[in-house]
Amino acid sequence: MVSFSPPPSFQVKKSVWTLMAEVHIIGQLSGTSGFPCASLFCKWSLQLGGGWKVVEGVSEGQTQADQSDTGNTSTWCHPIDLHLSTRGIQGWPRLLLQVYRQDDLGRVDLCGYGVTHVPTRPGHHTLVCHTWRPVGTFGEEVRRAFLGGGPQLLSTEFIHSSLERYRLHTIAAGLVHLELGIILRNFEKYGVIY
Amino acid sequence: MGQIECGRFLNGDNLRFHCCFTAGHDWEVVTGLEEFMSQTACRSDDERQVFVWNFPFDITFKSTNPFGWPQVILSVYGTDFFGNTVIMGYTACHVPITPGKYTRRLTTFVPESASTVQKLLSWLTGRRPEFLDPKLIAQGRGREVTRVRSQGEVTITFNVMMKDFTKFGYDCGATGKTPYLAVQPQPQRSVTVPSEGQSEA
Repeated sequence: MVSFSPPPSFQVKKSVWTLMAEVHIIGQLSGTSGFPCASLFCKWSLQLGGGWKVVEGVSEGQTQADQSDTGNTSTWCHPIDLHLSTRGIQGWPRLLLQVYRQDDLGRVDLCGYGVTHVPTRPGHHTLVCHTWRPVGTFGEEVRRAFLGGGPQLLSTEFIHSSLERYRLHTIAAGLVHLELGIILRNFEKYGVIY
Repeated sequence: MGQIECGRFLNGDNLRFHCCFTAGHDWEVVTGLEEFMSQTACRSDDERQVFVWNFPFDITFKSTNPFGWPQVILSVYGTDFFGNTVIMGYTACHVPITPGKYTRRLTTFVPESASTVQKLLSWLTGRRPEFLDPKLIAQGRGREVTRVRSQGEVTITFNVMMKDFTKFGYDCGATGKTPYLAVQPQPQRSVTVPSEGQSEA
């Protein structure tokens, strides 16, 4: 059972509270599947438009490195709990994912990049994010297979921006699984239908 | 409310778990147990090879803010080949945010030692690496330095109900209606007794 009582400042600052629409993202980065390597971890970050603000919660993080015993899947169970406020729906939040592998010697190597929009409907969602990685020349790929360390992006802007993607040559990597619960507040006051 | 139904693990026997609920600063437990420990379950003899706890829990939270939504954290312990009690897996998940019945299958993971020598020593002595505070799993911070190995899974069933959630403008995507609000009270009508010779129409 979950029961709600009004927040302490609700009565005093009612006009301010009702102006801002709020989004709660409550869920976790479950894990991966389909990556051809073990001991994977993920660096994730939330990318927001200009009108958005993070009220509570951590908007970036890094999961643990999981060496899986269960085939080609990894499990992180990394919690995500964010409280955002906004005055508009432009720049709806997106999650940027960078999957790396860590070997026994502690070296870190890129496995894949991915971006996924946070769902716009309230409720529970199971998301699957397809990831990709940049492909180098034949020599670079052979070196990557034996020694590690293939091409990586210099800036994360290429992951979420649509403008410069045409310059890239990429290959598919595995899937990242997320479970997100979305709670919306006050969007109907802006006339937004979801 | 719900039950922690069963677990599937390849290794180990005599499994029991320690379960706790954690939530943010704005949350408060109204009734129910926040932490509890299960019975010790043996592996089943049939082809399922499953550990059944069927452990019920019933807890009520109160809050002013959805931030810090409650999470359930499980730490599963068991005996290894040498008879030592070792950690078999940790897992955590958020309580579902929408009312209804849910069954979640959570994969568990154990911390890994940093070097091969430490792994061998911990396997021999039965002192496997453990988290000092299992509530670390429910947090996002501080996990980038941990190495884990995933093994086993636990099945949990949740039944979630909410009260007064939508009154403050929140929408969690729930489609159910509160039964007592669905029927509007009928206004009282005055009763006229037709006098002799008149009909009611």
